[in-house]
Amino acid sequence: MTDVTTPMMAARRRRVLPRPLIFGATILLASAVVAVFPAQVAPYDPNAFDYGALLQAPTSAHPMGTDNFGRDVLSRVLHAYTIDMQIAFFATVFPFLFGTVVGALVGYAGGWAEVIFGRIVDAVITFPFLVLVIAIVSVLGPGLVNMYIAVGVVGWVFYARIIAAEVRVQKRLDYADAGRAMGYTHARIIFVHLLPNAITPAIVYWMTDMALAILLGSSLGYLGLGAQPPAAEWGVQIADGKNFMATAWWISVFPGLAIVLTGLGFSLTGDGLAELLRTKR
Amino acid sequence: MTQAPALEVRNLTTTFAGGRLTAVNDVSFTVLPGEVLGLVGESGSGKSVTLRSIMRLLPASGAVSGHVRWQGRDILTMSDADLRGVRGGQISMIFQEPMTALNPVLPVFTQIEENLKAHTDLDRAARAARARDLMDLVGIPDAARRLKEYPHQFSGGMRQRVMIAIALAGNPTLLLADEPTTALDVTIQDQILKLILDLRDELSMSVVLVTHDLGVVAATCDRIAVMYAGRIVETGTVRDVFAQPAHAYTRGLLGSVPHAGTERSMLLSIEGTPPPLDRIPAGCAFNPRCDFATGPCRARVPVLEDLAPGRSVACFNRTAVTAAGSPV
Amino acid sequence: MTGEVLITAENVGKRFPLRQGVLHRLSGQPAPAVHALNGVSLEIRRGETLGIVGESGCGKSTLARCLVRLHDCDAGRIVFEGQDIALLQGKVRRAFNRRVQMIFQDPYSSLNPRMKVRGILGEALGVHKMRPAAGIPGRIEELLALVRLNPDAADRYPHEFSGGQRQRIGIARALAVEPEVLVADELVSALDVSVQAQVVNLLLDLQERLHLTVVFVAHDLRLVRHISHRVAVMYLGKVVEIGPTEALFSAPRHPYTRALLDAAPELDPARRSRKVAARGELPSPINLPQGCLFHTRCPHAFDRCRTERPELSPRGTGHLAACHLADFGKPETRT
Repeated sequence: MTDVTTPMMAARRRRVLPRPLIFGATILLASAVVAVFPAQVAPYDPNAFDYGALLQAPTSAHPMGTDNFGRDVLSRVLHAYTIDMQIAFFATVFPFLFGTVVGALVGYAGGWAEVIFGRIVDAVITFPFLVLVIAIVSVLGPGLVNMYIAVGVVGWVFYARIIAAEVRVQKRLDYADAGRAMGYTHARIIFVHLLPNAITPAIVYWMTDMALAILLGSSLGYLGLGAQPPAAEWGVQIADGKNFMATAWWISVFPGLAIVLTGLGFSLTGDGLAELLRTKR
Repeated sequence: MTQAPALEVRNLTTTFAGGRLTAVNDVSFTVLPGEVLGLVGESGSGKSVTLRSIMRLLPASGAVSGHVRWQGRDILTMSDADLRGVRGGQISMIFQEPMTALNPVLPVFTQIEENLKAHTDLDRAARAARARDLMDLVGIPDAARRLKEYPHQFSGGMRQRVMIAIALAGNPTLLLADEPTTALDVTIQDQILKLILDLRDELSMSVVLVTHDLGVVAATCDRIAVMYAGRIVETGTVRDVFAQPAHAYTRGLLGSVPHAGTERSMLLSIEGTPPPLDRIPAGCAFNPRCDFATGPCRARVPVLEDLAPGRSVACFNRTAVTAAGSPV
Repeated sequence: MTGEVLITAENVGKRFPLRQGVLHRLSGQPAPAVHALNGVSLEIRRGETLGIVGESGCGKSTLARCLVRLHDCDAGRIVFEGQDIALLQGKVRRAFNRRVQMIFQDPYSSLNPRMKVRGILGEALGVHKMRPAAGIPGRIEELLALVRLNPDAADRYPHEFSGGQRQRIGIARALAVEPEVLVADELVSALDVSVQAQVVNLLLDLQERLHLTVVFVAHDLRLVRHISHRVAVMYLGKVVEIGPTEALFSAPRHPYTRALLDAAPELDPARRSRKVAARGELPSPINLPQGCLFHTRCPHAFDRCRTERPELSPRGTGHLAACHLADFGKPETRT
């Protein structure tokens, strides 16, 4: 018997969670709680007008002030978590899943599949992403569901490109050939062997993409193509406050900070996951 | 054996990571003028680090102590300017992977000329002539044309020849060769090894040849130093050591290589693997893998003791090992 | 070794086309390709170890991959128990894959880094239904013992093992499906010398116990000589000599085999020579030489060698060589 367990190996097996993951996941977890229970954490009704307290600067009663209808900005920011976290998830999960499967198949098949896929990628990246999404939304009509569709139609390409490149690398390694020599099916080699080794960059990209999706949702909301007023949504709120920037900065700034904080949560989680999932050879 | 050594290495110790990892541990050896010394070991034995320590070619995290005496001076303490004069001049080095040791964007001539500029006072025309001579010397045909080519246009064997030509540019008296043929095919390895031997004769150089292949040692070296876990465990002439290994590791290594007449029999293998630098066993580093190990081996580190002039071994049970005979 | 013939390679050819530009494609010239195998013929007999030896670029690894059908050959055929393996489909192909197993060179890339050893072995056992589900844990333990690893190895990932141990895991994976033929491609060349010997000993032992047929592909002549009953020497995608190990090593009948043996350093310091064994280098496998593939480096080449490619012809019992000099290296005439 020649193998020994060493303290170093044992330490490597008892993985400690990477610090960025701990911070990032904490932010996201808190965000998720707020998204699910906004009414429990928000002090006021987000849509209740209070004409006695218009455009109030932050006070102890309204920590983030009030807007031009006397609505509590803090409550609106908290309620917006429900919509914006939904946007983050639903705008990205379908591209992630579909892109992953397509990318894995394309990367494994190579040849003509890759050539055709390459043309699709070229076609998509020729247009700026936002312009493309806006074009699709304006055809389908404004609203969140149409926004998911628009983002999904374009977004899967980026995931597929990442996965295809990674699978192409992995399939040249001997363990893929070992699977073929074992008589395993293509499906088993792709989804049991190659994909788990290829998926890490796509997961990391997914995290960043969720942060971008919030920005996109907010941009579309700002432009009036996403969530519709009076819904509490960060982009809509920022748009609402744009006329008051000089006199009542808090209407726009606090939703903006919420976007930054959530984006930071996703980015840190992505970095942490990349470290956690790094392949050891 | 009264000849003055060309190079004398005394108590060379190289550590990494602030002294936590010891790659080379109290290594001493000499190289005589015109001799080929084989430095043999497996991965992690410290053989390559020893070679690089001699030339102070280590990453910043490496710390070297001891003495490397070269023509009356200590390389480890000389100034950087003096060191540059020695490196590539009196002492040259060639590496295992010539493709990464050569600069891919410069033609071969420029790379040879660079070394000629640094170590000779030849003028431009003389340098060009010398570069052609060097290409001829290392057996690259059509020298004038090939000097204009880039490293990627050469095959593996030819690249190693180019490396040697560059190394020879400064008229070295000592060539340090770090696994120069490991990446090459056997017929090309044969060509390169014989080229090194021919050059040794023609230019009366000394050579230190680092290798893991005992066959290469048997075919090219005059003396051998076997390294294990950063220490030299046995030295002597190749003939003596192969005929009668006195260290259990040397004996095991010789027995691990298949040789004629023992077809399809079990090889004399050594159990386990060479230890990584962060887990070198206490006592004799080889004791957990050793068939001859006894109490003292686990408690103390054996020191290198002379068996005869120029023949030494660091093993408490050398009598038993010697009695067991050579596996070859 | 007079076992029945199990696998026959008949004139096997394999080309790998090179990428080429549009202009070249339009010019109508034949597409450039690496000619990896150029008509390989040999037989593998049940229970023997056939060594395949040669330098890099000789096609030995390509041949190994063709034997387990990781590559399909584009000329000739490979016959296993009377059937052309290129024609096997579905269930029959899967059964062939089970019976003819490959072990890979690189212990670092040949195991899925995200699977524990238990998963790697369990998958092989499960896919080929080697044991009922309840019997799998026990079988995994048996397999680990067979390759001399501790039972607790099952719950570890490949990166926790040394190179030699990983090769044992690779061997265990191949043995899990109870194959008849093992194709080992440079099995030990990535390992330290002392570890090589352990793995070679293990292979010899397993072959005896499990009555395996082994195709041992390697560049190390000493290893091939040690392990093989018969040896095939390859050069530029062709077998230039094949025969019983002892006959081939003691009296090589092809100039390339002779050069290879002379170039390989011997362990005996008394037998060193200063003569270079073979001049020159391997010609490009993209533009193969006319005639005998070795003539550009052969010290004995004459006119016929430059025009006509020699085929394998008998030199002794089971000993064939592809050389126009039928008497080359003949024991009586050897100088």
